[in-house]
Amino acid sequence: MQSQEKNPPNGRAAENDGVHTIGQRVDRVSDSAQEAWTQTRGAFSDLTDAIDIKGRVKRRPYGSVAAALGLGYVIGGGIFTPLTSRIVRLGLRIGVRLALVPLLKDQIAGLATVLADGDSGAGRGTGKGHKAAK
Amino acid sequence: MEMTDQIEATAREIGDRVRPQIEDAKRRLTSLNDKAIDYIKENPGTCLVGAVALGFLIGKIARRV
Repeated sequence: MQSQEKNPPNGRAAENDGVHTIGQRVDRVSDSAQEAWTQTRGAFSDLTDAIDIKGRVKRRPYGSVAAALGLGYVIGGGIFTPLTSRIVRLGLRIGVRLALVPLLKDQIAGLATVLADGDSGAGRGTGKGHKAAK
Repeated sequence: MEMTDQIEATAREIGDRVRPQIEDAKRRLTSLNDKAIDYIKENPGTCLVGAVALGFLIGKIARRV
């Protein structure tokens, strides 16, 4: 009996070895899973720090929300739609007005100044001519 | 002259009557804006995820229409 206890049958020994191996494997899998989870968390926190979402939201709350809304709109497949074309057209129209109107105003003002100067110069010139003719 | 004075008085009266309402509306809008900004700053994740979801829905609807 003692010899049997010290040296258990082959099957039992194999079973014990098997249990031990499975336990080791479970431990190893658990360790690797934990390590992977830690690495993922670290990578995510690095990414979060790099993007600095909270800081961006604190600095520009409405801008961040608008950007998120736009991202969702693009993901939802709304980019090549009539609504997008309408929005883009409206934006372009407003942009052109905002950009061109002051420019045109300046140009017209400059032109008017030049014309006024030219008229007064020409007027003087004709006056002198008239005087000379007289 | 009397007509002008009358018009001016009426305009002034309307202005006096409307000004408090405008001030009140301005105060309310400012308060609402501050509350919205505070909420977004306190819950950035919720707001951003909600905005993405809303944008996604709008995009889907725009695609169907």
